[in-house]
Amino acid sequence: MLQLPQLYAENIHRWLPELLYYSLTTLKIAAVSFILAVAFGVLFALMRTSTNRWLRGIAVTYIEIARGLPIVVLLYIVYFAPPQLFPDLNWQWFNAFSGAVLGLALHGGAILAEVFRSGIEALHKGQREAALTLGMTPTQAMTYIVIPQAARIVLPPVANYAIGLLKDTSLCSLIGVNELMNGAKSIAFADYQPMAVFVLVAGIYFVMSYPLSLAVRYMEWRMNVAG
Amino acid sequence: MGFWEIIEKKGWYFLTTLLDGWPETLTVAIGALIFALIFGLVVALLRLSRWRMLRLVSTAYVEFFRGTPALVQLFVIYFGLPDVGFNPSPMQAAIVSLGLNGAAYLSEVYRAGIESIHRGQMEAALSLGMTPIRAMRYIVLPQAIWTMLPPITNFAIVLLKDTAIVFAVGVVEVMALARFLVTETLQSAPVYLMAGALYLCLTIPMARLAARLERQRDAWH
Repeated sequence: MLQLPQLYAENIHRWLPELLYYSLTTLKIAAVSFILAVAFGVLFALMRTSTNRWLRGIAVTYIEIARGLPIVVLLYIVYFAPPQLFPDLNWQWFNAFSGAVLGLALHGGAILAEVFRSGIEALHKGQREAALTLGMTPTQAMTYIVIPQAARIVLPPVANYAIGLLKDTSLCSLIGVNELMNGAKSIAFADYQPMAVFVLVAGIYFVMSYPLSLAVRYMEWRMNVAG
Repeated sequence: MGFWEIIEKKGWYFLTTLLDGWPETLTVAIGALIFALIFGLVVALLRLSRWRMLRLVSTAYVEFFRGTPALVQLFVIYFGLPDVGFNPSPMQAAIVSLGLNGAAYLSEVYRAGIESIHRGQMEAALSLGMTPIRAMRYIVLPQAIWTMLPPITNFAIVLLKDTAIVFAVGVVEVMALARFLVTETLQSAPVYLMAGALYLCLTIPMARLAARLERQRDAWH
């Protein structure tokens, strides 16, 4: 019979530091792709709501495709396809890490574009017009009137996306990034202790994502209270 | 060889090979969907139960399965369970882990659906002499199903996409065959793009359906 407590007591001093070291890579992937995804999201939300038919068409196509693909497939396409499609370019810099970040960011950009769009559309146009009438410049109206109100609508879904992203970084192990999941695999199979190691890793992911989900709940609760 | 030349020469071979993976992909997806639909309802009812202990256990289950990646859960079940004496096949591990993961998600959908039905419905059924289970079965759930249908359809899309990870434990589905093809022919770009297109053929119509169901539901209420 498996004695998990005993196994942990004997091995945790070896396993935990190594796993924590790998989880730094996980956090790095999550952070970089989150920032990129926000940038893509803003860009495509603006395109999606623009008056130009072509820009709207491009944005809609991108959003449909990136949201319809399994993330794993997207990662495989982004990491393996471009060097083959454009062999003449220089691909020296393009390693598994950048492929993973780009793939996750493309997926997140599509999700966030929809989130930002609903944020922009939820806000009555009169708000901006009123600000302009009061003599604000369009930039001032955006920074002092529109964004502060839209942020309240958009923040919970963005935080929810961040939780999903943190968990999705585990998929980067499948294209060979040495993050937490890959570290777990190498330890688990080197020590022949898959159950103990993978349960421990699940715990580490949980510790990273749970504070975020508590924060989301707090934000949603506050928004309901404030109406 | 250029991209289109390869598609012309090998495209048919790629397509037929990838299509061979769909029965496995759909078996995992449908198996896990049924598992999650049933087990998710059990979890949702436990979370609404009168006993604190049951509420605590089911809440912990939901929090934990929603707070950890599906890939880790899959590995715990496929590589971990043999440590305690079970040896699931890749297919069983895939269905059970995606099913458990989905049940945690669906239980929230069920809970929201059940809570959307006015309490008076339940009370009226009980005062007519129905048992709580019969009241749930004949009065509350049939009404709640309409509220829940769009999120359940969305869940089915997510589940279908999530099946693309199960090649990691050796289920020979679409993604596994795509990887075999790339190992065999080294043509990563056409193969992965084609695999992606095949997924889109299913997920985009499903997303349309979900959006339509949602519009209809919101029009009625």
